[in-house]
Amino acid sequence: MSRGGRLQGALGYAVLGGLGLVVLFPFYWMTITSFKSEDQMRSLVSMFWPRPFATENYRQLLARTDFASWYRNSVVVAVSSTLLATAVGTIGAYALARLRFLGRGFMASATLITYLVPPSILFIPLYAQMRNLGLANSLGGLIAAYPSFTVPFVTWLLMGYFESIPEELEEAAMIDGATRFGAFYRIVLPLSAPGVLAAALYAFTQAWNEFLYALVFITDGRLRTLPVGLASFITGDVYGWGSLMSGAVLTTLPVIAAYIYLQKYMVEGLTAGGVKG
Amino acid sequence: MPQRLRGLAELLDAHVISRREFLRRTALITGSTAAGLHVLGRMAQAQGGPKLRVWLFKSYVTAGNDILARQVETWARERRVQLEVDWATFGDREQKFVAAIEAGNPPDLAEMNYQGPLRYRPALRDVTTLAREIAGARGGLLPYADRVMQLNGQYFGIARQAFGGGLHIRKDLVAEKGLKMPKVYDPDVIDVAKKCQDPSKDLWGFGQTLNRCDDGNGFMQNILWDYGGSAWDKDGKPALATTYLRQNTEALQFAVDTIQKHKVQPPGVMSWTDPSNNEAYMAGKLVCTNNGASLYYAMVAKKHALADKTQVLLTPGGPAGSFVFAGTYNWGIFKQTKHADLCEDLVRWVEDEKRFEEYMKASIGQAGAVYRSRAEHPYWKTDPNFEGMLQNVMRSVWPGYPGPITPAAIEVQAQYVLCDMAGRVVVGGLSPEAALKEAHKRIEDIHRIRSRG
Amino acid sequence: MAVPAAELGTRAGLNGRAVGLRRLLGPDYRMGYLFVAPIAFFVLSLVGYPFCYAIYLSMTHKLVGLPPVFVGFENYIRLTGDGFFQRAVVNSFVFTFGSVGCKLVLGVVMALVLSSHIRWRSFWTGVLLIPWVAPTVVSALNFLWIFDGSLGVLNYLLVRVLHVLPQGVGWLSEPGTAMASVVAVNVWRGFPFFGISFLAGMKAIPAELYEAAAVDGAGALPRFRHVTVPGLKNIMIIVVLLSTIWTFNDFQIVYILTKGGPGGTTMVMPVLTYETAFGAQRLGEAIAVALYLLPALAVTIMVLARYMRKGRKR
Repeated sequence: MSRGGRLQGALGYAVLGGLGLVVLFPFYWMTITSFKSEDQMRSLVSMFWPRPFATENYRQLLARTDFASWYRNSVVVAVSSTLLATAVGTIGAYALARLRFLGRGFMASATLITYLVPPSILFIPLYAQMRNLGLANSLGGLIAAYPSFTVPFVTWLLMGYFESIPEELEEAAMIDGATRFGAFYRIVLPLSAPGVLAAALYAFTQAWNEFLYALVFITDGRLRTLPVGLASFITGDVYGWGSLMSGAVLTTLPVIAAYIYLQKYMVEGLTAGGVKG
Repeated sequence: MPQRLRGLAELLDAHVISRREFLRRTALITGSTAAGLHVLGRMAQAQGGPKLRVWLFKSYVTAGNDILARQVETWARERRVQLEVDWATFGDREQKFVAAIEAGNPPDLAEMNYQGPLRYRPALRDVTTLAREIAGARGGLLPYADRVMQLNGQYFGIARQAFGGGLHIRKDLVAEKGLKMPKVYDPDVIDVAKKCQDPSKDLWGFGQTLNRCDDGNGFMQNILWDYGGSAWDKDGKPALATTYLRQNTEALQFAVDTIQKHKVQPPGVMSWTDPSNNEAYMAGKLVCTNNGASLYYAMVAKKHALADKTQVLLTPGGPAGSFVFAGTYNWGIFKQTKHADLCEDLVRWVEDEKRFEEYMKASIGQAGAVYRSRAEHPYWKTDPNFEGMLQNVMRSVWPGYPGPITPAAIEVQAQYVLCDMAGRVVVGGLSPEAALKEAHKRIEDIHRIRSRG
Repeated sequence: MAVPAAELGTRAGLNGRAVGLRRLLGPDYRMGYLFVAPIAFFVLSLVGYPFCYAIYLSMTHKLVGLPPVFVGFENYIRLTGDGFFQRAVVNSFVFTFGSVGCKLVLGVVMALVLSSHIRWRSFWTGVLLIPWVAPTVVSALNFLWIFDGSLGVLNYLLVRVLHVLPQGVGWLSEPGTAMASVVAVNVWRGFPFFGISFLAGMKAIPAELYEAAAVDGAGALPRFRHVTVPGLKNIMIIVVLLSTIWTFNDFQIVYILTKGGPGGTTMVMPVLTYETAFGAQRLGEAIAVALYLLPALAVTIMVLARYMRKGRKR
């Protein structure tokens, strides 16, 4: 038994090591590529560790491309649409999880179904919609469009959270004279802070990573968001890999940093929101 | 206002506008000064005048891009115009134009490729007058460019340049083996490729993708013509698997053979996009490749070791001759613009011969002539490699050849139908004939849809 | 607050009407509708309306710069007979089921390993989840670079370091490897979601079940088959359906890696939609491509939504 256990343990670590390597290698490769010069890349020298470290890619990226604007755009779009989605999603989820009113079940289903409708069938009509609103080719269009997936997601995730909080707490508060809203605001909301944080983080990540709408809605080069800007390198200049990879590093950093810092909440949020049962 | 007058005077000096035009405009400007003060007020409020959105084409010749951008910016300063410059490039220009036109916010002025005038016609202004004016002052449009810019005498684009280019070949390797420079694909290019390549050292004889991109499109179009075939007959009707079935089959077979039978193409060639062969050639992995002069430019500009070892030849041909596809870049003015006169003014400005010369010289052969006078410029004699590049441009033919140029012919190019056809043989395992028939059906569809209007 | 004032309602007439409304609309209807209104607004304006408009557009000829012309089902009929489209449908299914199958297997492996006795469990969990949170575009571009035929590290490793191949492979350009390569990238990105969901599901399986099985003398494999798998059934169905929808509609990975090439081998429906809209500039037909399999999508979504809601209610 114990020998079998040890063997199993060794196998477990081997599997973990293998998966870890496969998972991390692309990021390692992206990072060291960003520090290689064109010559190093082209002549296949210093493959696995850049010698010497070249920072020219980063300089090129910031000096010769609109990367800085793209970064700003991504921050603006992701932060605004996250705030919007979190606010709307939180109160909506509370209503759908707790309040009793006609049409609640229908709205809950509608929200969930909306969450499941894929962007690939919506991007053209949504684009027409933005055009009618005068929001085509503007960051406002993206901020307005991203709730189409962040709101249902946040709502669905937080519905689960609110349902897991015992209803007796609110009832007790209301017996003590608190209003329904007071009970929500003072009792439920603080208790579900981790859930709201996780939901907001996911909404942010989704908005930060979004590609299709940003690709279609934005025609102006300077108004691009990071994913579309990065992808535009492969259609652009000769030998874009160095700049591309340095841009990729800078694009990934905030997401990974937030993730490392708040991993616990995000893992919990993911398991609570995506699926539970 | 005096600023604008001064600008006009300068145009006059530069012989860009005629004296009569100058008088007309002066009258217009002074007249409006007297008549409509509120217009002036509005312009002053707008902090330095009207706003203009301009899209430029970002080629691989970065020095050229920089010069063009600077010229446009200088113009904007001189004319007190607020300028918003944006770039379109090889992989994204179609999407960009479609999205902008559909959204009802196209730029005022855009540098388009050869597809633009016919493809975006519903959104473009008729620029016949200006196109004639500019061409007239430059000895006229070269016939190939003239064909691409107009439909039934109406111009929707003002020609600027055609990318020069040709077969970039490693003369050191060819000399080492004591071979002659190739003139036709079969057997010359194949022979050189086979003898010079060394797959064990990752050196391949010929790098020519058939994939969906400008490079693949151009080659597939040329090779059909080289073998006496075409996608269109003399009346502009689909002919891929009918009139020219035999010729087209031979051509397609040859294209596929370079990969499958002769094995002179590097692995991965079917997923190449426009920059891929540039990269491979500069990495020393190719004996020869067809490309725009941007490849030669990149090597010269970067003082690359292969620049001196490279010769640029006339694009090779086949049994029916050697054909090159005309890719004329041009200026389009969009209907929606409120500043058509400014757009025209800007076109005159950048097409001014001195300014174009500066651009042309920085482009190291890529800025091929579209006007007679430009083709006769002494610049083309300053580098032995320019001869081939210029020749290639001068003899190029239009999409739709031997028939007329039509929106459907442009559409077949824009949708990469010929590349898909080659892909179906190389990758899908179809016979050339079956692939031709399949592609023919698509072309007929396009023909039907586009003839409706 | 307006809400409690209405609930307390002092005046008799108002009170009577409020009671009637409350009986009809539910006790919390005021706050409920107020709180749900923004969601309803977003759902209707960003999904409901565009969706209906999409159905209309799919029945038109819409060339760029010109108004749409209604043609009924012509686009759908044309697509049905179009070989290019038919291959895209087949490719989409190969891509989806290949990816989801691999993700399922890898997800189970990941969950099993992470639920066994290992040190630094949360560290490993964190590492393995990275592909899921990293921007997909970045990952796709990374792999584009890794797969590069001449300068890519994959060929370098296989040819020059490990010497298992005589010469490099054009991973994304050969019919035999292109589809496998895009599937691999999709699996790489998506398996952590499977793993972490299964892990959560395993934690929810009562330990007594395992103990009872161990007492009965069941080995590791039977325990997995008779305890773990049944315990995970619901989660598995949900995750697989969810991933099927996502994968079927995945645009960016294929768009960035191959754009559907070489020769249409990896052309999947979302990319074809995009190509038809912006390459061929036939917007009506493009939406018809996107909506062609709507009935199947609708059924999947309905089934999945039912499972997800059931999972919650338990």
